[in-house]
Amino acid sequence: MSPAPIEVTLPESPSVSSPLCSSSTQRCGGESRFSNLRSVQWRINLGILPSSSSIEELRRVTADTRRRYAGLRRRLLVDPHFLKEGNNSPDLIMDNPLSQNPDSMWGRFFRNAELEKMVDQDLSRLYPEHGSYFQMPACQGMLRRILLLWCLRHPEYGYRQGMHELLAPLLFVLHVDVQCLSQVRKIYEDHFTDKFDGLSLTEGDVMCDYKFMSTPDSSNWGMGMDENNLQGSTNKVSSLDELNPEVQTIILLSDAYGAEGELGILLSERFMEHDAYCMFDALMSGARGTVAMADYFSSSPTLGSQTGLPPVIEASSALYHLLSIVDSSLHSHLVELGVEPQYFALRWLRVLFGREFLLEDLLIIWDEIFAADNSKLIASANDDDGSGFGVLGSPRGAFISAMAVSMLLHLRSSLLATETATACLQRLLNFPENANVKKLIEKAKSLQSLALDTSISSLSPFLYGAFDRKSTLTRVHSLSSGSISPRTPLKVVPESYWEEKWRVLHKAEELHQGSSGKQVPSGKKGSSGKVRLSLARAESDPSPAKTTSVKKDSRSFVRRRLLEDLSRELGFQEDVEKPGCSDQKDPICSQKDPLSSVNVGEQGFLNDSAEKNCIDKNFTSTAVETSLSGHTGSEENSSIFSASSSPLSGANDHENDSEKSSVSSNLYVDDNDGESNNLEQCGTALDDTPLPVSYPTDATLQQPESDKDSTGKQETILKERKLHSGKFQWFWRFGRGGGEGASEKGGNSEVSRSTNVGGTSEATTDKCDSSGLGGTGDSVDKNVLGTLRNLGHTMLENIQVLESVFQHDRGQVGSLENLSRNILVGKGQVTAMAALKELRKISNLLSEM
Amino acid sequence: MVLVLALGDLHIPHRAPDLPAKFKSMLVPGKIQHIICTGNLCIKEVHDYLKSLCPDMHVTRGEYDEDARYPETKTLTIGQFKLGLCHGHQVIPWGDLDSLAMLQRQLDVDILVTGHTHQFKAYKHEGGVVINPGSATGAYSSITYDVNPSFVLMDIDALRVVVYVYELIDGEVKVDKIDFKKTATAHSAH
Repeated sequence: MSPAPIEVTLPESPSVSSPLCSSSTQRCGGESRFSNLRSVQWRINLGILPSSSSIEELRRVTADTRRRYAGLRRRLLVDPHFLKEGNNSPDLIMDNPLSQNPDSMWGRFFRNAELEKMVDQDLSRLYPEHGSYFQMPACQGMLRRILLLWCLRHPEYGYRQGMHELLAPLLFVLHVDVQCLSQVRKIYEDHFTDKFDGLSLTEGDVMCDYKFMSTPDSSNWGMGMDENNLQGSTNKVSSLDELNPEVQTIILLSDAYGAEGELGILLSERFMEHDAYCMFDALMSGARGTVAMADYFSSSPTLGSQTGLPPVIEASSALYHLLSIVDSSLHSHLVELGVEPQYFALRWLRVLFGREFLLEDLLIIWDEIFAADNSKLIASANDDDGSGFGVLGSPRGAFISAMAVSMLLHLRSSLLATETATACLQRLLNFPENANVKKLIEKAKSLQSLALDTSISSLSPFLYGAFDRKSTLTRVHSLSSGSISPRTPLKVVPESYWEEKWRVLHKAEELHQGSSGKQVPSGKKGSSGKVRLSLARAESDPSPAKTTSVKKDSRSFVRRRLLEDLSRELGFQEDVEKPGCSDQKDPICSQKDPLSSVNVGEQGFLNDSAEKNCIDKNFTSTAVETSLSGHTGSEENSSIFSASSSPLSGANDHENDSEKSSVSSNLYVDDNDGESNNLEQCGTALDDTPLPVSYPTDATLQQPESDKDSTGKQETILKERKLHSGKFQWFWRFGRGGGEGASEKGGNSEVSRSTNVGGTSEATTDKCDSSGLGGTGDSVDKNVLGTLRNLGHTMLENIQVLESVFQHDRGQVGSLENLSRNILVGKGQVTAMAALKELRKISNLLSEM
Repeated sequence: MVLVLALGDLHIPHRAPDLPAKFKSMLVPGKIQHIICTGNLCIKEVHDYLKSLCPDMHVTRGEYDEDARYPETKTLTIGQFKLGLCHGHQVIPWGDLDSLAMLQRQLDVDILVTGHTHQFKAYKHEGGVVINPGSATGAYSSITYDVNPSFVLMDIDALRVVVYVYELIDGEVKVDKIDFKKTATAHSAH
């Protein structure tokens, strides 16, 4: 067999360690026993080989599985010619080629032939670009036989397109390992021949078919050295364990004279087919776990399912469910577009992402998938409430779902930019090939724990109803009637204003405008949904239920992880954003840093408001674009405008834009502060009791269990708020940060109070935001230069305000008397001061212009 | 593995209305790779029917065939076997093994399929086989009136051919089979 064209995992240079190093470097599970022999590791993970037992046991099990396969092949692969030999007096009436009896030998033969034809149709198109391995006749033959046998063995499933794509990587992994082995053997042939000759003298055997394998990773394996076997080597390397301590194991693994003889050799070209079948069978049947790939190919619900849906539909529902927890805005966007999860998940899940990634990347992903345990964690949790997703019940199922969600999140910005289901699916079904698999897996791993937690603490109807489209809509609806309504009138004004502008400037692009107009409400809904979710979470904090808090912690952890990812992606070139980034990690600190805390608040709500701001900006920017064109690039705000003027240009750009515009919106907020009536607005927001109260009441509606708790809490909160009304001057401003902090840390009444305020200030900042937009937009229209000068001034004022806030902050901190906080605050202040300096520079520049 | 259907002397519509229903139900498309027909179909409709079973069809001309374009003899190679086809009314005496063996040598074939006598016959001869599939409709011949409908299915696999003989006796299909192995050197020696 000639080596496959995919050389990534194949050895290239004939050095001692490199042949296997190249394949082992990609794997992260360093602690595993056969980390550099992927095929062996997979066989252990799939439950074919025992994970912890002696070499002899491994060999024995290997031999057994191979024998089973051979028996199966003998039994099921019918050849009428050979069967006649042993059976000389067959019933010719029944067993003749034209027999109508389906049970006859020939009937079975023709059925198999039909199946074979179907399989062949797919196999001939399997990885055509990697032609030289998968298209090799030998490989095709093996694939065909394995598929055929599996289908005959499991007539209830039959052959479905896609099965071959699940099998191919398994066979490839075996092939690569066998190839590795043979190359290592070739390199050290003379060396080992001598050694074995020496051995053969003592044993009196001719060792011609001795397979030898060396592995570079000399970690923890090599204790069971049998010194006798190594005595014979008298070559350049005096003893084999000097060369490599793992050698002994591998010798035993591939020793043709060990337990079970040649049949027990773990990696053998002769038994690749047998091994591949066992792996395929284990993958398809799931070894009594929750994820049985075969179920994904059947259209009838499994026995245990409560939903009555086919398993693959159920799995894709679970995927959306997970998405709704992690990123409700993306989820609601997809639901609003009418993109059902199975539209893309069917393809993703059935072949375990085989079509979305290159083979090399796929192997890494499968490493992780198989490494995850497939056994159900707690059977009762899912069965009792009748609502959980069985798929999420095992680490492996959760990981697969998490992987899909992480892929969705990878496409997040470009998905949110789509306006039709078709465009959305186009992006989903053309997953970018250059995606960073490691990052995706990392993200998926963090999501996996979240998925597992959600399935364990089977949540209130709010969460599992989330999948249902109807309930999602009602949720949105109730939100808009509750918390959004006070805000909407304020928002409408600038929006319609800019729509007007837009129409004047771009009459031709009315269609475009309409579609982006559509986007605004969706973003808004999403963000408010998020606000509400986080608030509800914060409220339920003090409730004694442990599971909830555990779940919440992990969720916030996941969230933080996601945010970190996002911020890393964006690169954070601007200094203003740096404190925000650092604050994300310690939310308490963020309370003390007004600017960055607002920033955190923005990001903390999963950038929903940022998204919304961005859309708002899109209106502004396109309107302003023509007049500003001369000044773009030189000045920060205008550069934001120009950047966001092409909202649909590219995924990364878009994300950057939203980030930038969120920053700019923060600036506007602060502008307004500095300019005038921040106290007034603050006052109105605070006195506006129905508004903050509406949050927890909604929350109680959704979480009946914590009803009393939260209402009681609410009362105390209100009292507290009156007591501390003097402090609100500060709190309303970084309340958002506080809110984030609460939703992440929680548990502390002080913080939960600030959460409440945070909710209020969220509303207020939005007000400021929109009015700020309107104001600047106007002035820009009148005179660009004047605006710039104004901006500079307001920024200066703004900075002064910030500085004064800082001083007050110190006092505040003193009153809190929290030592640990003090420390954190110190750190936050340093970063904030740096940000302020930067701001000052910019404002100087602006005022000069 | 190749399945080859050999039949002939249908004499439709002159001496028989159609193939027996039992035969018709057995002959389904998708199983057979080749049809060789010795001739006397006699009309185009029968030709079309056989084509519907398997598009790869080889026919020689019988004395009653309307279609004059059929050749007198035909040879084809299936797997490692060379097959010769002739109706047989040209070979006299009709059905005589020595005369047929002469034709077999003439055509240089391993398997010679002829018809005309309406009697199933199969001889192993000189490292080859001479087969007469009989009449598929059971039509009478100029030699005999008592004819059982029969045809032959050959399963050719590498150096081995299994001949299945389907005969309709008293309304029941009887199946028989004959094994024939060709020695690898036999053909190359010729």
